[in-house]
Formats: sequence, C-alpha cells, structure tokens
Amino acid sequence: MLTIIVRSILIYCIVLLVFRLMGKRQIGQMQPFELVLTLIIADLATIPMADISIPVLHGIIPLLTLVVLHFVLTIITRLSIKLSSFLSGKPVILINPKGIDYKAMKKLNMTIDDIFACLRDKGYFSVAQVQYAIVETSGKISVMPKAEFAPATCQDLDLKPDESFVPITLVCEGKILKDNMALARLQETEVAEIVKKEMNSKIKDVLVLTIEKSGRGYIQLKKDKGKSFQTKRLGSV
Amino acid sequence: MKVFHYINFLIIFLFLIAICIVEEMLVSSALENVQNYCFEIENYISDKQSLKENQIVLMVDNLEFDWTKDESKLCYLVNHISIKELSYEISHLKAYISNDDIVEFKAALDAIVMYCHSYLHFMGANVHNIL
Repeated sequence: MLTIIVRSILIYCIVLLVFRLMGKRQIGQMQPFELVLTLIIADLATIPMADISIPVLHGIIPLLTLVVLHFVLTIITRLSIKLSSFLSGKPVILINPKGIDYKAMKKLNMTIDDIFACLRDKGYFSVAQVQYAIVETSGKISVMPKAEFAPATCQDLDLKPDESFVPITLVCEGKILKDNMALARLQETEVAEIVKKEMNSKIKDVLVLTIEKSGRGYIQLKKDKGKSFQTKRLGSV
Repeated sequence: MKVFHYINFLIIFLFLIAICIVEEMLVSSALENVQNYCFEIENYISDKQSLKENQIVLMVDNLEFDWTKDESKLCYLVNHISIKELSYEISHLKAYISNDDIVEFKAALDAIVMYCHSYLHFMGANVHNIL
C-alpha cells in the first residue's frame, strides 16, 4: 500500500509539473491537439499508480515525451500557418449578416438549439440581434452584436472616465502580501493605520483588504461585515 | 523567462535520450551476461554425467548472484512480470543440481538462453516493437 501511496504522490507531482510546463490554458480554451494530449496524460498517469509491477518510469517517460511533443507542436504552429490550421482548425463564421450559415452549421455538427444556447450564454436571445457569430478553434463562440444591440461604450457617449485598475489585495486572511504592498507603494504601518481607522482592529483580524489606485478600498474583518472606504490616492502603480 | 522555458524542455529531452541509452545498455549487458554464463555452464557440463560438482554449484551461484544484482537495476526500467521467468528458471537450476537431473538442468539452461534471446528482441527499440 505504501508503494501505491508514494507512487501516486510522485506521479501527481509529475503530472502537475507537466501541466505547468504546458501552460495555463483551461480545458475550454484548448486547441484540439492540446485536448488530445491532456486526455492521454490523464490515462497514462493512472497506469503505474495502480499496477506496482510496472516501473514508475513507464508512466513518467511517456508523460515527458508528450511534454516535449507538445512543445514541438506549439513551436510548429507558431512558425507555420498552414500546419497551425491543420492541427487547430480554422475559426468558422456561423452567423453572418444574412443569417445562420446552414452549411457551416452542418459542417460543425451543430443544431439550432446549440446555436441558440451559445447566443443566450453571450446575452443575446435572438439571432436578429447578432451581426456575426464565429466558432473559434477552441470550440468557443464569439459574438458580435448588430450596432443597435451593442452595449453603449464611453466612446459612444463621449465620456472620458479615469483609467480603471485592478484592485490590489494588501491583506488576505490576516497576512500581509508583501509583493502587493510594494506594488501599491505602501508601508505596513500605513496599512495598519487604515485597518485601525476603518475597523478599529488589527491586521491579523482582517479577512481581506483591497485598494485601488484611486484610493478607494474594501475591507472586511474575519468576524464582521465588509465596508468600502476612501483613502489617499496611490502613487504610480 | 523564455530561456528557462526552453532550457526546461531541453533538460527533459536530454533526460529522455539518457534514459533510452541507459535502458538499452543495462538490458543488453544484463541479458548477455546471463547468456554467457549459460553457455559457459553448458560447455562445462557437456561431457559430464553428474551435476554433483562444486564447480557447477559455484557457476550457478555466480549466475544467480549476478542476475539478482542486474534484475534489481532492471526493475526500474522494465516490467517485473516480463523478467520473472528468467528468475524462475535460474532457481530451478539449483533444484536440478540437488536432484542430479542433468536432462532437466540442460533444458532449463536452454530455456534461459531462449528467454534472454526473446527479451533482447522485445525490449530493444526496433520496428517490430514499435508497430
């Protein structure tokens, strides 16, 4: 039993390493060749885990071979457009200004219900609202609405808002995130002051504390409700 | 960072090549070693009528010792089940010596040589194995 446990841990670490080396794409964003590799890897990993007569190297070697193969295929797809479209396919226009392309629909083996489901997922409940719908090589559908159904942008309204920035998390479950502190150009004492001023508490009691460039922040204690606050604007982030 | 990414793949690639070479060398040296022992024993007993000789016992012991040593290394690289028959046959040799059964002893030696030959065939990288 101990052998199986140790083997499982070892193979888990190797598979984790393999996926880290392969990149950060999610299942839905995978190209066909990446999906094939993922399925094979999942199957390969289980064989030496359960059968102790098989050397663990018999599981690791194919995994590493697939990593190298994936790396080579990625390079080839970058270098050759033709091979890239052969391996990953091409995006297909499913809906154009004339309506649904029946030929494309059949080629993709999709039904009208599938198309409607995808459109609803994107927030459009009628084909009449859609100018173009494109099935990407990953299988996802990108939708471009007709101009009258497109959401209004600041440009349309002639507005010039401030650039928005991702809020920086400074404290997470009572722990200060030092990298983010450096990013926000704040000192620990300044954060402690904010916590004391806003919640009359200490950093160790904070569940989460985030701050934006504008100085607007959000703080919540582990045993209390959260609240927004405004402090001085941050330096260049 | 990109350089590290390439280096990672290069390391894996070199590791794969190294494993292939090590496997090829270990497997062929271990099996050829067993074959050589068998030929040596066969030559020695060719004109003998009895197995009750210290020299034969010593030769079989050496064969067993070397194979056990090599087998433990091979276990990292090949399936245990693929090589277990060889261990069985080598252990049978000792039983045949104590029974002084020269016919079965020679048959076991032939079987070991045959197993080595077939293992050398299916463990190496060749078109038959790949396909």
